[in-house]
Amino acid sequence: MNALRAELLKAVTTRLLLWFGLGLLAFLVLVLSIHIGSHDLQSLGERSTQRTTLAFGGLAAIVAVLIGSLLVTAEYAHGTINQSLLAVPERGKLLAAKLAAAILVVFAIAVLADAATLLIAELWYRGRGVTLHLNGYTLAPFFGAVGGSMLAAGIGVGIGALLRRQTGAVVAILLWLLIGEGVISAAGDSARFAPGRALGAVVAAHEVGARDVLGVWAAVAVGVLYAAIFCGAGFLVVLGSDAPTSGD
Amino acid sequence: MIEVERLTKRFRSATAVDDLSFSVPKGRITGFLGPNGAGKTTTLRVLLGLALPTSGRATVSGRRYRELAEPLRTVGAVLEASNYHPARSGRNHLRVLAAAAGLSPGRVDEVLAEVELSGAAKRRVGGYSLGMRQRLSVAAALLGEPELLVLDEPANGLDPEGIRWLRNFLRSFAGRGGTVFVSSHVLGEMSQLADEVVIIHRGKLVAHQSVAELTLQAAGATRVRSPRADELLARLRAGGIDAEPTEAGALAVHAPPERVGDLAAEAGIPLHELVAEKGSLEEAFLELTTEPQP
Repeated sequence: MNALRAELLKAVTTRLLLWFGLGLLAFLVLVLSIHIGSHDLQSLGERSTQRTTLAFGGLAAIVAVLIGSLLVTAEYAHGTINQSLLAVPERGKLLAAKLAAAILVVFAIAVLADAATLLIAELWYRGRGVTLHLNGYTLAPFFGAVGGSMLAAGIGVGIGALLRRQTGAVVAILLWLLIGEGVISAAGDSARFAPGRALGAVVAAHEVGARDVLGVWAAVAVGVLYAAIFCGAGFLVVLGSDAPTSGD
Repeated sequence: MIEVERLTKRFRSATAVDDLSFSVPKGRITGFLGPNGAGKTTTLRVLLGLALPTSGRATVSGRRYRELAEPLRTVGAVLEASNYHPARSGRNHLRVLAAAAGLSPGRVDEVLAEVELSGAAKRRVGGYSLGMRQRLSVAAALLGEPELLVLDEPANGLDPEGIRWLRNFLRSFAGRGGTVFVSSHVLGEMSQLADEVVIIHRGKLVAHQSVAELTLQAAGATRVRSPRADELLARLRAGGIDAEPTEAGALAVHAPPERVGDLAAEAGIPLHELVAEKGSLEEAFLELTTEPQP
């Protein structure tokens, strides 16, 4: 618990979360405005459109994977990993604390993203004179956003431990999201097992899958598998290597 | 207190530490000396669990660092001054470490006061001077009230006032019964501070003695002054004694004063001064670590 408390304290004593939070909020305002503004009133009134609108909170998963990786790589970038290992010399324990802290932090961010999504959507819908129906069907993506973000944080921690270089990890994640996921779409139906697609399916929270998208529980299983693989590989690398003599 | 047993650390083909063994006794200040690249930092990093040994072991009170039940309460380490998140305040940096080690948050303000950083505690570390960062490092090392301090080049970049502060602090710590193991390049400072020194070169142990013993063994020169210095120089060299003129009428002779005096008396050369200059830690260090010229 001490190691977890320390990791949470690390996360809140820099401005990392503030900037990511503000950036996510600005992005949500932008994409929700474009999305709601581009639909006609009849379409906006449909439950499926409202569900899709409320799924935008799932953008928190992108922030989650970056935060997860930065909670590890920032320590290497600034050389603070040395002090962290002096206080918590069992590396497995330190990494487990980072993983738990990333999941908790991202849980909070995803809940705030859902709240922001609801607020922005409600304001737009009212402005256009359409009632936003809140029920189990339309709100399901809120749970998906939280779950998907937590899985993304786990994958991010694993990638951070695997690469340990801050810039390298962020660039690798962004390249995968912007290019890799697009390229893998060429694989046909198998592309639904790609990390981004699987997390997208968690966010969408459809109980039953389709040819190109997994059902929510299958997607959760695939997401857990990715998180386990990245964390397992990353933890093995950290356990078997020397801490850096200075920042990268 | 510290035991290093047949420690070897290789980085690919380079051997940084080579079958190194020594021990550091409790309650003393032990200096850890060696030229650049001798393996001092690597040894300390293995001792602190930050680097993995290729073979051998380094222990504190019989245990590897990662096996210590309460590491920060046992060992306080000062590594590099740059190891801080620049956006985090000095106080928050210590709060994080205190939380990780399960220490009372109240210790943070106590150690900040001890290193005279209370006034800058809420400032971001990115704005600290090098001296302030070193003090913060010392504060971090003191958080757990350890009985052993391990410091790697703590005087690097410090101004004379900072060095004096550090010297007084370490003496005070040792005076209260603490053990200090400190690596340094500042040999003059080390000769004033350390009770004994461990000297390594190319990863191997070359000396482990008290400072007093080591400086006694160092070949000090004999300073001799004579109105017939040129003639004395020729006589000394003819006798196979290494000597060189230093100033008008004075010579530095690498032989005991008795031999110089006898030789001058035999030759009937008057002497105005004959002084045995004591060897220094620096001389001893250079004798032990200087590579022979090809």
